[in-house]
Amino acid sequence: MNTIGQPVSRVDGRLKVTGGARYTADIPIEGVVHAAIVHSTIANGRTVSIHTMAAENAPGVLAVFTHRNMPRMNPTPKPWSHLHPHGQSYLPLQDEQIHYAGQPIALVVAHTLDQAIYAGRLIKVNYEIHPAVVFGPHTTKEAVQPPRFLWPVASLVGDAEKGIATAAVKIEQTYTTADRHHNPMEPHATIAAWEPDGTLTLYDTTQHIFGTRELVSMVLGIPQEKINVIAQFLGGGFGCKGYVWPHTLLAALAAKVLNRPVQVQLTRAQLYSMVGHQPATVQTIALGATRDGKLTGIRHDSISPTAVFDNYIEYAALCPRSLWAAGEGIWTNHKIVHVNRNTPTALRAPHEAVGHFALESAMDELAYATGIDPVELRLLNDTEIDPDTGRPFSTRALRKCLTEGAARFGWNKRTPEPRSMREGRYLVGQGMAGAIYTHWRWPAKARVTVRADGSALVEAGTHDLGTGTYTVMQQVAADTLGLPLEKVTVRIGDTRLPKSHASIGSATLANAGASIMLAAKAIRDKAIQLAMTGRDALFADAARDDVIVSDGRLVFAKKNLDITYSELLARNDLSSLTGDGDYDPAAEGPKATFSFSAVFAEVHVDPEFGLVRLNRFVGAYDCGRIINPKTARSQAIGGITWGIGQALLEKSETDPAMGRFLNRNYSGYLVPTSADIPELDVLFVGDFDEEASPIGVKGLGELTSVSVAPAIANAVYHATGTRIRHLPIMVEDLL
Amino acid sequence: MHPFTFSRTTDPATAIAAHAQDPYLAFIAGGTDLIGLMKDHAALPERLLDISGLPAMARIEALPDGGLRIGALARMSDVAADVEVRRRFPVIAESLLFAASGQLRNMASMGGNIMQRTRCTYFRDEDDLPCNKRRPGSGCAALYGLNRLHAIFGWSDDCVATNPSDVAVAFAALDANVIVQGPRGERSITFTEFHRLPGNTPERDNVLERGDLIISIEIPPRIEGRASYYLKLRDRQSYEFALVSAAAAVAMDGRRIRSARVAMGGVAHKPWRLTAAEAALPGVSLDDIEALKAAIATSFIDARPLAHNGFKVELGQRVALRALQVAGGRA
Ligand SMILES: Cc1cc2nc3c(=O)[nH]c(=O)nc-3n(C[C@H](O)[C@H](O)[C@H](O)COP(=O)(O)OP(=O)(O)OC[C@H]3O[C@@H](n4cnc5c(N)ncnc54)[C@H](O)[C@@H]3O)c2cc1C
Ligand code: SF4
Repeated sequence: MNTIGQPVSRVDGRLKVTGGARYTADIPIEGVVHAAIVHSTIANGRTVSIHTMAAENAPGVLAVFTHRNMPRMNPTPKPWSHLHPHGQSYLPLQDEQIHYAGQPIALVVAHTLDQAIYAGRLIKVNYEIHPAVVFGPHTTKEAVQPPRFLWPVASLVGDAEKGIATAAVKIEQTYTTADRHHNPMEPHATIAAWEPDGTLTLYDTTQHIFGTRELVSMVLGIPQEKINVIAQFLGGGFGCKGYVWPHTLLAALAAKVLNRPVQVQLTRAQLYSMVGHQPATVQTIALGATRDGKLTGIRHDSISPTAVFDNYIEYAALCPRSLWAAGEGIWTNHKIVHVNRNTPTALRAPHEAVGHFALESAMDELAYATGIDPVELRLLNDTEIDPDTGRPFSTRALRKCLTEGAARFGWNKRTPEPRSMREGRYLVGQGMAGAIYTHWRWPAKARVTVRADGSALVEAGTHDLGTGTYTVMQQVAADTLGLPLEKVTVRIGDTRLPKSHASIGSATLANAGASIMLAAKAIRDKAIQLAMTGRDALFADAARDDVIVSDGRLVFAKKNLDITYSELLARNDLSSLTGDGDYDPAAEGPKATFSFSAVFAEVHVDPEFGLVRLNRFVGAYDCGRIINPKTARSQAIGGITWGIGQALLEKSETDPAMGRFLNRNYSGYLVPTSADIPELDVLFVGDFDEEASPIGVKGLGELTSVSVAPAIANAVYHATGTRIRHLPIMVEDLL
Repeated sequence: MHPFTFSRTTDPATAIAAHAQDPYLAFIAGGTDLIGLMKDHAALPERLLDISGLPAMARIEALPDGGLRIGALARMSDVAADVEVRRRFPVIAESLLFAASGQLRNMASMGGNIMQRTRCTYFRDEDDLPCNKRRPGSGCAALYGLNRLHAIFGWSDDCVATNPSDVAVAFAALDANVIVQGPRGERSITFTEFHRLPGNTPERDNVLERGDLIISIEIPPRIEGRASYYLKLRDRQSYEFALVSAAAAVAMDGRRIRSARVAMGGVAHKPWRLTAAEAALPGVSLDDIEALKAAIATSFIDARPLAHNGFKVELGQRVALRALQVAGGRA
């Protein structure tokens, strides 16, 4: 039976709900001691003195590290960018400078975590304090053009200014988004254990085991072969576990100095200053269009803050490069402001979820300015050619997303006039938005082994963030080999396995999945070959294509012959068959490859109180072929929920004087609860995309959180007639 | 966490004596607020005395005169589900059901609830920030910092925090009494005088002294009790403290208000009674929205919003209006 396309339940579900899945901080390591990080309470300046005596004498304390006694680390390559697995270039406990609030300034190691945290509290620090530089209207004026970080910083196709200047209808507005934090359920932890032979094992909460290995190798100056990194279960990542952050380096070094295993765990509050965040943006968009709604020009500029020492860019102005056709041209640009904060990083739907708020809000404003239905406006500006590169799209089912999503939502029943729909005391608003998402093609390796008992083992150095990797990889391997699911075991999350890429950018299934398919295929081909030419060749007169695999057997249907994998191995005196998968795509193919969506939101607004509640939501997605509709739907409803948080709740506020993030916990930083989430309706309308991946899939996880916010903001406008151009939308905006 | 010892007692007198003598001892009931404060270093007790085993303090009694006596150790969930509480004073049950989460309400005691401390983000930060409530004399970071969730009434330059309890707002509206046993015996404190305004001693949330143990909360019979309602406005649908809330209870003559009790949450260091509005409401028809608004407005004349909470002045009046309308509709 084919399992691909079936709603297979998670293989690790039972393990997780019964506590059998071991998360990093729960892994018992013999002789482990615990470390707590002490962080700066000021945002700018330096430590003049750090008094550690009381901490050193506290119960259970083994060592206290500061910049004075922490061994020096090797700097990481310049220029810093996310192409290196380093979250930020600034290395911990190397000097007395303070660049952001919550920066590590000491590490306390004790027998228990509680002892370490308590002793950390006894450390007294004298600071030289400088005024904190924070992101705000006065600092955006000092924005500078950064060096390239991922994509080109600016882009110009055609003559966007002409297209805008001469347009019959013009929209020009500024939109802003808030700083946000990832808030995975599982806080970051690293356990570092050195073996007598100099091998270092790191149990790390990471979405990128090979990245951890590479960076730790550079910083500690030890060969990569001497480092193993293990991450078998993650309690969410959302981007903040995609790169290496200070705590991992501190754990490795402290364990080395103390010559015993050290476990470092961040507190919930420390997640707000030690593992990145999504920076706020100030985006200005200009759209020019003809009276009948054809875009003639787009200009999109974005400014975002970064750390004083790194040039992180939130590519908010990326999306207009390829989403809609614009007759005369498209201009985009990014600037950054250096302020006292840690380096921002990718947060679920980085760049796109931020940028689409501006672009798709502006498109809604254009729909009202031209009197064209918002769905129709997008159909009008759909394109078969990527405006940015002039290449055709490999697949682009955006029209289908728009039309099928609208049909499912009942968009034709909407009356476009703001405040025209009501239900009891509530104003009803319906809004929509389109979206595009970058598809990544990365090299990945895998190995599959079929054993004498006919079972298979899949091995790949990839990760399961809680997304269902174990399950979908099992499906891919089982179907390729023609084995029942329960005969396939998947091992991931260990650098001793074949090398795979970071599980970021919604790229795991497309790339790591491809490598597993290739490895399984290699075995299948070997097995068929054996059946045709091996000992007592049963299928001697078969042509290759006559043989299929199914239900654990190789089947030569024409002759009514079949043989199981285990019989075949026994017959050939083999204990196992191994296949290697080496997926090595070019970064860019001849076609432009992206995922697409159209999403539809209905809100109820209580006009007296300014309260917005989402009433229903439909998302139509083109992310290629769907391997498992159940895990895919789970990803989608999680992504939509994530977007609802962005639209209505999430905001990391900075104290203007102290320059520090506040509300550093789940009580103060609001994420949606079940009560905030209505029925979410999810449609997948994409087809097999072979440019995207040999298994036909495109990225899904992040796409689903894109454009939720503009759809909701557009619905709020439709309900109330008030256009909100910042996120999140708060009660006071609508009073 | 700061190291601490833990012990239990089943004798109120022992508890009171221990608390009176030892400034570093804290009572712990459900622990849902205290433990969080200890983790954030906003409370540093060295000894915890578990009072949840004290006898006869978890009862919910419907008194023959139409009032209620709620033991300090009664769980929020039990009180919310109690048939007589729901019948006599729906506002109490509702204020509890809109608070915290099901799990927390199963742990949390009523005494602990009215003792819970402010949610001011500076007060609760893992680091020691300038906060007079946490460290007297260190300043108030919220005054010129972020204060969207802070007070519009009764604040001082030393503290602009709000009291987060929902049920306290209902108790204030109903003029409940807090029954306290202390080293010098038992006394009854009118609810509106239980919590304090910050003045220049914001470290003191209420009038309790060392050695004081809350025994129960008594709600006298109120003609407004049945037609009562709790309206809570919050940024998300559940599991969140009030941005602004109102407890309203009314007695009606037909469509006209005979008497009204209104208190608000999320606006001051204590549940805030709309005394002026209560004086202006009798005789006003529920159908006369303008007159209702005008009566409510009399209590907002002295509102003093901060930089980020100006919206609470208008929102507060709208919330009070709707709460009155719904309560009146129940008469
Ligand atoms: C995430 C979260 C959300 C919440 N949301 C809400 C909400 O929306 N609305 C709301 O109203 N509350 C909310 N709460 C607060 C919750 O209701 C309180 O934490 C709870 O009521 C406290 O009761 P407890 O028994 O656990 O108190 P404890 O934590 O045990 O004690 C709290 C304080 O009261 C003192 N104390 C306890 N009993 C007595 C007594 N009999 N006499 C004298 N002193 C005593 C203790 O010494 C301590 O100082 C929330 C709490 C959390 C953690
Ligand atoms: S408002 Fe009160 S609790 Fe908040 S920082 Fe100021 S003094 Fe502290």
